[in-house]
Amino acid sequence: MINNFYIRNSLILIIKGENKMNNNEVITELENIVGQQFVSDKPEELFLYHYDFVTAEPEGKCDIVIMPNTEEEVQNIVKLANKHKIPVIPWVSGINFGSTATPLKGGIVVDLRRLNRVIEVNEDDMYALIEGGTTWADLQRYIGKHHPDLMAGITFSPPGTGVVPSCLCYGMFDLGMLGGTGAEFINGLEVVLGSGELVKIGSCSLSDCWYGRQPLPDLAGLFIGWEGSTGIVTKAAIKLWPKLPFRKTYTLMGKSIDIGIPVLLKLSKAGLGICDLFVFNYGWVQGGAGAYEKKVPLDPLKANLPDFIAGVTTQAYTEKQHEAQCEAIETIYKEGGIMELPGGADAYNLNLPIQGWGAWNFSRGGGGQWIGSYCSTRDITKYYEFARNISLKHGHTPQFYSRLLFGGHYCVARVNINFNKDDPKEIESARKILKEIHEEVTSLDGVVMYKAPEWAHKVNEEKTLPATVELIKKIKNLLDPNKIMNPGHGWGD
Amino acid sequence: MDGVINMAKKIRYIKGMGVTHIDTRQEIHKIDRYKNIEHYKDIIYQCGKCGTCRTVYQDADWAKVCPSGEFRKFESYYLGGKNLLIWGLTSGKLNWTNNLANIFYHCSVCMACVQQCQVPELHSFSGEWLMAMREEAVKQGYGPMPEQRLYTKHTMEEKNPYMEKHDDRLNWLPSHIKQTADAKLAYFVGCTSSYREKNVAVATVEILNSLKVDFRIHDNEACCGSPVYMTGQTEKAKILAETNVNNFKNAGIEKIVTSCAGCYRTWKDIYPNKFGLEHGIEVKHLPEFLLGKLKNGELNFTKEFNMKITYHDPCHIGRHMGIYEAPRDVLSNIPGIEMLEMPRNRSNAWCCGSGGGVRSAFKDMSAFAANERIEEAKETAAEAIVSCCPFCLNQFKNNIKDNEIQALDLSEIVKKVI
Repeated sequence: MINNFYIRNSLILIIKGENKMNNNEVITELENIVGQQFVSDKPEELFLYHYDFVTAEPEGKCDIVIMPNTEEEVQNIVKLANKHKIPVIPWVSGINFGSTATPLKGGIVVDLRRLNRVIEVNEDDMYALIEGGTTWADLQRYIGKHHPDLMAGITFSPPGTGVVPSCLCYGMFDLGMLGGTGAEFINGLEVVLGSGELVKIGSCSLSDCWYGRQPLPDLAGLFIGWEGSTGIVTKAAIKLWPKLPFRKTYTLMGKSIDIGIPVLLKLSKAGLGICDLFVFNYGWVQGGAGAYEKKVPLDPLKANLPDFIAGVTTQAYTEKQHEAQCEAIETIYKEGGIMELPGGADAYNLNLPIQGWGAWNFSRGGGGQWIGSYCSTRDITKYYEFARNISLKHGHTPQFYSRLLFGGHYCVARVNINFNKDDPKEIESARKILKEIHEEVTSLDGVVMYKAPEWAHKVNEEKTLPATVELIKKIKNLLDPNKIMNPGHGWGD
Repeated sequence: MDGVINMAKKIRYIKGMGVTHIDTRQEIHKIDRYKNIEHYKDIIYQCGKCGTCRTVYQDADWAKVCPSGEFRKFESYYLGGKNLLIWGLTSGKLNWTNNLANIFYHCSVCMACVQQCQVPELHSFSGEWLMAMREEAVKQGYGPMPEQRLYTKHTMEEKNPYMEKHDDRLNWLPSHIKQTADAKLAYFVGCTSSYREKNVAVATVEILNSLKVDFRIHDNEACCGSPVYMTGQTEKAKILAETNVNNFKNAGIEKIVTSCAGCYRTWKDIYPNKFGLEHGIEVKHLPEFLLGKLKNGELNFTKEFNMKITYHDPCHIGRHMGIYEAPRDVLSNIPGIEMLEMPRNRSNAWCCGSGGGVRSAFKDMSAFAANERIEEAKETAAEAIVSCCPFCLNQFKNNIKDNEIQALDLSEIVKKVI
C-alpha cells in the first residue's frame, strides 16, 4: 500500500501542464486501450523496468508498464501520453548495454513483447516482415520452421532480445560482412510517431511490398540511431539471405591482435564469400567460456596465451566454388602467421543466437558494460591497445571484440568492463574506467560510440557540427513535439 | 595455445541444452541445495534477465518454455524477473507484499526455465531459490495462497488434499487383489490415484499381481506432503513425511514402488535431502521398476496395443529427478505402439500446469498450460498423450475437449498388454 502510494504520487510529479490527473485515471484510460491484465503500476512488476540490470548506468524509474497488441493500441497510448505529457519509453527486452531503454524521467514503459509476430516472409525479395517486439528466438523459430533455405543475420545477444531495436541501434549480425550493420538490414518501417500518427517508410508506404527504401526519400534515418526518441516502430521488414549449401566457419588463432588484424583486413577485401569476420581477444573468450576474472591471468599476453581468436564464415553455391574460397582463406591466414584452432567451430555446432552471458558475468557479479564504437578499420589495433592498457591499469583483464562489416568498409570495436552490480564501489569504479576508455579511444579520428548512454551521447553531440545538431533538434521537435519519447536518451533532447 | 584448446574443448553442443559447459564451479561460490534465501543472495544477481530462460535453448525451434511468463507476460513472471525480484528483496529495494508472493506462487516450479539458463550457478540452482522464496513467503505471512491454505488444512487432518476422508483412501482397491501381509515391498498409492485417478492404482496393483510381486499397501498411508511442500509449507510437509516414514519403517518396508511422479520425488529426494529423514527405503517409480522386470525377463508383453502415442514428461520425474528414458523404454517395447515425440520433450518438456499449487490457486494459468500441451500433443497426430503421473493425467483429462485426444497413464497401457 505504501509502495503504491509512493508510485502514484511520483507520476503526478511528472505530469506537466494543465491536464493534471492522478495515476488512477491514467491507469483506467490505459486499461481501456489494452485491457486490465496488460497494464500494471505494481512495484513488483515495475521493478524489472527501472533499468537494465547489467550496466553501470544509473537506475531510472518506470511508473506504469503497458503491453499493447496492435499498432492502433500503440497509437492510442502515445496519444494519451501526449495529452498528459507523460514520457513514453519503447521497450522489448531492456538489454542493450547502453541503458537506452531506461526510463530516466519516469513515465510509461511500452513493453512490445505482445507485438512479436512474423507477419510475412517474402522468399522472392528475401525479407521478413516482423512486428516491433519480435525477438531473435521468435524470428529464428519461424524461419527455421518455414523457410529453412533462408537465414536472418543474428547478433551475439541472447535469444530473448529484440530484432527491431537491434537494427535501429546499429547492432551487428553474423551476416555483417554481407549486409553491414543491422540498420542496413532494414527494408521498411511502420512507426507510431511521438505525436501519435502512424507512418510507413519505404516501398511499403505506397504498396504492399516491403522490398526496400529505394527510390523514395529515405526517411528511415528519422528512426535509426535515435534510440527510440522519435517514435515507436511497430513493424519492420528485415533482409534475409540465402543459406547456401556449402558453408564453413574457421576459428583462427594467433599470438596477438596486431599480428592477426592485418590478416582479417586482407580476408575482408578478397571477395571470398565471407559472411562474417570477427575477432576476440583471449580475455573475451575466457569470459564467454564462463571463466572467473579473478581466476585467470590478468594479462594473457604476458602469460604467453594467444590473444587473437577470430571467426571466419564463408559460404558458396557449389562445392568447387567453396573449395576455391576455402583454399584462398587458408592461404591468406597461413601467410599471415595465423593457425586454425583444431576442431574449429564445427566442434561447437554453434547456432545463433547464443547466450554470451559469461562475457558479462566475468566478474561473477552480473554487471558488465562496454565501450562499443564504430570506427575505421585502420584503427582496430590502436583501439585495442588503448583499451587494453587502461583495463590492465585498473586490474581488469582486457576483453576486446571487433567485427568487420559490409565487405570491410568499416568495423565495430568493443571493450568490456565487468563488475559486481551489488557493490556500489565497484559500480563507481567501472563508470570511471569506462569513461577513461571512452575518452582515450574517441581520440582516434572517427571513433563514435553506438548505443551510447547519456554521458557518451553528450560527447558525441559536442563533437558534431553545430548545424547538424540544429537540424537534428528541428527533426526531433517535428516528430515529438511534446518531448515525451524516451526523454534523456538519443539526439535532440 | 593449450589453454585456448582446452577451453574450447570444454564448450560443446548437447542436444536440448545447446552450447554449454555447465558445471557448478564450487570453488567460486559454495552452493548447497535446499537452503534459505539468505544462502543464495550473493549468486542470484549474476542474472541479467537476458531472457534465455524463456525459450528452448538451441533446440525445438526456440519454443517457449515458461507457463507463468507466457500467461502473465510481465517480465516478473519469467525466471530472470524472479531472480532480480529476489535481489531487490534481499538488497532492500523491495518489500514483501501480497503481490510479490503472488508472483512467486504463479509458477508450477516445473524448472523448464532453469534448464535453459546457461549461467552455471543459475542453471544449477535457480530451482532452489524459487522454492526458498515460497518458504520465506510462508514465514513472512504472505504464503501460501488461500486455496492452498485450505487444502493444507484438510491434508493435515485427513491426509489428503482432495477434501476426502482418510477412511475412504482404500475404497478403490478391488477385492481380487492379492497382497502379502509381511511383504517388504509397498505400493505407495498417493492421493491422486487413491481419490481421483483410481484406474492408475487399480492398473498398478493388477500389474504387480500379474508379475507375482509380493507387495502390500500400508493401511495408514498419508499424503506424501508434496502439495504442502511445494507451496512453501516445509514444516507441515515434514510432519506428513515423518508420519509416513515412521509408519513404513515400523511396518518393515524396505522398498516402495509408486506410480505417482510427485510421491516418487518427495520420498526419494525431499524426505532425505530437505527434511533430513534418512529412511533407507529404496524408492522406485513404476516405469523404472517395470523396466528392470523387462530387462531380466520377468515382464513380457503378450498382447498388442495398436495406438499412436506421445509421451509427456512429468516435471517431478523429469527435470526434478532426471528420469526421461525409462518410461519411453517401457512404452516402446509394447507391440503395436508407435511413439511420436512432441517438439518439447525430455528436459525441455512444457509443463502440464497442475503442479506447485497452481491448479488450486490459479486455475486460468493452469488451464492455459494444459491446453498448450494438449495442442502440442495433437500436432504430433498421436491418438493419446501418455504420462506416468496421475496428476498430469487428471489435468489432461480435465482439459481435453470433445475427446480430440485421449489421456492415458503408462500403467493403464501396461496392464492391457500383459
